[in-house]
Amino acid sequence: MAEITVMVVDDHPIWRAAVARDLDAAGFRVVAEADGVAAAGRRAAVVQPTVVLMDMSLTDGSGTDATRSVLAASPRSRVLVLSASSERDDVLGAVKAGASGYLVKSASASELVDAVVRTAAGHAVFTPGLAGLVLGEYRRISATGPKGGAGPSLTERETEVLRLVAKGLSAKQIASKLVLSHRTVENHVQATLRKLQLANRVELTRYAIEQGLD
Amino acid sequence: MTAEVRRTDPDAPLWRAAQVFRLVTVVYAVSSHFSTVGNYTNPNLAWFFVALLVAWSLVSAGLLAYGPQLRTIVVIVDQLAAVGLMAATRLVADHEWYSNHQTMPTTLWVANSVISAAVYGGPAVGTASALAMATVSAVVRDQINLDLWRDATAPVLVACGVAMGFATVTARHAHRQLEQAARVAAATEERDRLARQVHDGVLQVLALVQRRATETGAVGADLARLAGEQEEALRRLISEQDTDVDRGGERVDLTALLRARADASVTVSAPAEPVVLARALAEELAALASTALDNTALHAGPDARAFVLLEDLGDEIVLSIRDDGVGIAAGRLDEATAQGRMGVSKSIVGRAQWLGGVAVLDSAPGEGTDWEIRVPKEKSHG
Repeated sequence: MAEITVMVVDDHPIWRAAVARDLDAAGFRVVAEADGVAAAGRRAAVVQPTVVLMDMSLTDGSGTDATRSVLAASPRSRVLVLSASSERDDVLGAVKAGASGYLVKSASASELVDAVVRTAAGHAVFTPGLAGLVLGEYRRISATGPKGGAGPSLTERETEVLRLVAKGLSAKQIASKLVLSHRTVENHVQATLRKLQLANRVELTRYAIEQGLD
Repeated sequence: MTAEVRRTDPDAPLWRAAQVFRLVTVVYAVSSHFSTVGNYTNPNLAWFFVALLVAWSLVSAGLLAYGPQLRTIVVIVDQLAAVGLMAATRLVADHEWYSNHQTMPTTLWVANSVISAAVYGGPAVGTASALAMATVSAVVRDQINLDLWRDATAPVLVACGVAMGFATVTARHAHRQLEQAARVAAATEERDRLARQVHDGVLQVLALVQRRATETGAVGADLARLAGEQEEALRRLISEQDTDVDRGGERVDLTALLRARADASVTVSAPAEPVVLARALAEELAALASTALDNTALHAGPDARAFVLLEDLGDEIVLSIRDDGVGIAAGRLDEATAQGRMGVSKSIVGRAQWLGGVAVLDSAPGEGTDWEIRVPKEKSHG
């Protein structure tokens, strides 16, 4: 397997150093660190990291802005939000902007390493809290969106899987409960994020065209 | 620095108004002079005095526009000019004229000096100036014995001085209060910003301690647990502050009520947007969640974790409380009843029904318990 390179974006130097040390010890290569939106975008363009660990509060903006600028500069990177922030809306914003997972900062080093591996492999890293937010967002869209289902929506199975994630079940537990393969469960979870991100991109593009900014 | 000046100068608007009044009075004084100059004994000297009046009015406007520090000079010269011009009436007219007409710069123009004094020093100074002007006018006209009912000069000038004086006092008072309010708001904002920064830093360190300590054995694990609890407590405090859990209104955010129960072993998941419900319904649902969580803490085992999921389906609220504890074995219902768990379960089901909804318990040995409570929202948002 190709080497996994990581960029750590956080405004706290102590935290960056600690995380970098853990990742180094686990065999990843930390290729860049950044403390803000502008620096993150610039460095991601140069180093094209496999995984970007993203804090939500940065020196010059939010993790959502940084996620957007990192993915614009390095589209093949995967952003994992790692946040102590209690701002739930922020996490949802970052996920809609393209982040592929969310982990709280108090997660143990082994949980972090596991999450980075899974993110690099293209999986979505979900916490129960994130699942609750995503479920809520789909329901908000279907409640406020135009009639006829123009917005993204979840299939019954996806809703079922997401609710079990929100109730704290692991992918393995969900697979055995619903008699599905582990892989299928992962795919369902990932699909819920992908649809949300795609809809968000379409929304932004439509907005840009309407405003004549395209 | 202009903002600074404006902030510390509550009188500026009054001075600007006084300037406008001054312009009007000059126009009035000059035109009045045109119509009366024919009756004067020394029209040339009279024209000279009117020229002085116009000149001083222009100079005073310039001085006032220059800045607040020259106001003292304007006020003093205003008093002298008014007195001087009134007195000069005797030089340009005979007794027959000036005892029956108003003095030279006209009463209206004299009001300028009263207004300047009042805006400068408040009602007392304004009244003093008004009385002085009225007295000088009476002396010049040799009409001291005349009763006030026939000559309105004194009462009008005094009223002018008192009114403008009080306007000044009020303006200054309001300005002080406004400044104080602005200072309090700025201080509060700064305190909030600092608190946020401090909290963020503390959260980072607590999270770090938690991660590091776990790797260093039994003592470390204890430390990690403590750090975790404190992190959770602080985070809850901040989120309560952010969302203002309870404003005491008729509707409350159920998410905020549920988050108050979150700790190291209880995870609360909810939509990003607040789930605002009628107070009675929200409080009863939060109480139901609490009952289920208490039950978990009692019976699910020491290492059990609990997950609360709140979903807003538009017309219906779904509240799930799941734990990953020992669960209830199908064959152990009697034992469970004996332990009092079934009583609690019946209570949860009953209370959900009372809210017009249902509560369903899903449990199997080793799989924990999973409550799902569905209740209608009653009325839609409005």
